[in-house]
Amino acid sequence: MTRIRRGYVARRRRTKIRLFASTFRGTHSRLTRTTIQQKIRALVSAHRDRGRQKRSFRRLWITRINAAIREMGVSYIYSISINDLYKRQLLLNRKILAQIAISNTNCLYMISNKIIK
Amino acid sequence: MATTAAASTLKRNMKTALAGLRRINLEGLRWRVFDARGQVLGRLAAQISTVIQGKDKPTYTPHREEGDMCVVLNAKDICVTGRKLTDKFYRWHTGQVLILMVNYIGHLKERSLKDQMAKDPTEVIRKAVLRMLPRNKLRDDRDRKLRIFVDNEHPFHDRPLEPYIMPPRSVRELRPRARRAMIRAQKKAENQQQKGDSGKIARRKREINNEITT
Repeated sequence: MTRIRRGYVARRRRTKIRLFASTFRGTHSRLTRTTIQQKIRALVSAHRDRGRQKRSFRRLWITRINAAIREMGVSYIYSISINDLYKRQLLLNRKILAQIAISNTNCLYMISNKIIK
Repeated sequence: MATTAAASTLKRNMKTALAGLRRINLEGLRWRVFDARGQVLGRLAAQISTVIQGKDKPTYTPHREEGDMCVVLNAKDICVTGRKLTDKFYRWHTGQVLILMVNYIGHLKERSLKDQMAKDPTEVIRKAVLRMLPRNKLRDDRDRKLRIFVDNEHPFHDRPLEPYIMPPRSVRELRPRARRAMIRAQKKAENQQQKGDSGKIARRKREINNEITT
């Protein structure tokens, strides 16, 4: 068999990975073998957290709506208000409600007063 | 001995109360005042922890620290249900520290609620609130926002203080044994009063009885 050099195949693959991990800290962006591992971990985290992101944002919206509704009065609670929302067939989702709570609190008060009745 | 220790902790409390204010970014934060007189320990601590985390504001952000400053007054008048005054213990482990390759032999130390209240009542509330906060990097900053005082006096009179009204609570009805004990105590108190009021009548009755027997 004749001698065959590997050439630039491996180098091309590794530069792509290095470009991806160019902003990582310390040796994670400098040493080849470490960079490959860190790129894999980064992609795994991103994939997993794309599902988690939906969960965590919904949590945040619920906390914010809860806080805004409790400011209205003593027995105003998130769970009861959401139940009333569904009963009155109001299709606002939590994201919009949270945004209303921050920017335009009076609007939220009007909505919840109408729902409670 | 106990009073001097309490007095020294009081003075230290006052000094540390004004201490870390520079490290907190105080713009836009409210100063909420909690009165602990007659409040149950855990229920008050739960409310304080929600306020300190900033969870009662619609602009709550979990990675930023934006809770209000909490001032707790009358820490010595905090109440506790059941037998916790004698049976609740604060435990901690000492020793197990490696310094210069010498392992200090430590063991479990404990102190009951009664002793802790005698020593430093602010620690009771502080521990209760701190153990209710989430254990993350913001916990120390939140600890700095908590100021607890034993009495009604505090050095924050020039700030715009807002009293915090506790949400209404539904106290459950007394368990049968406790209710019977309470009724017995009430009757005993009434009897004592009656004896005090009608002491002369009882003595007259006894004299008449003696006359009849003799």
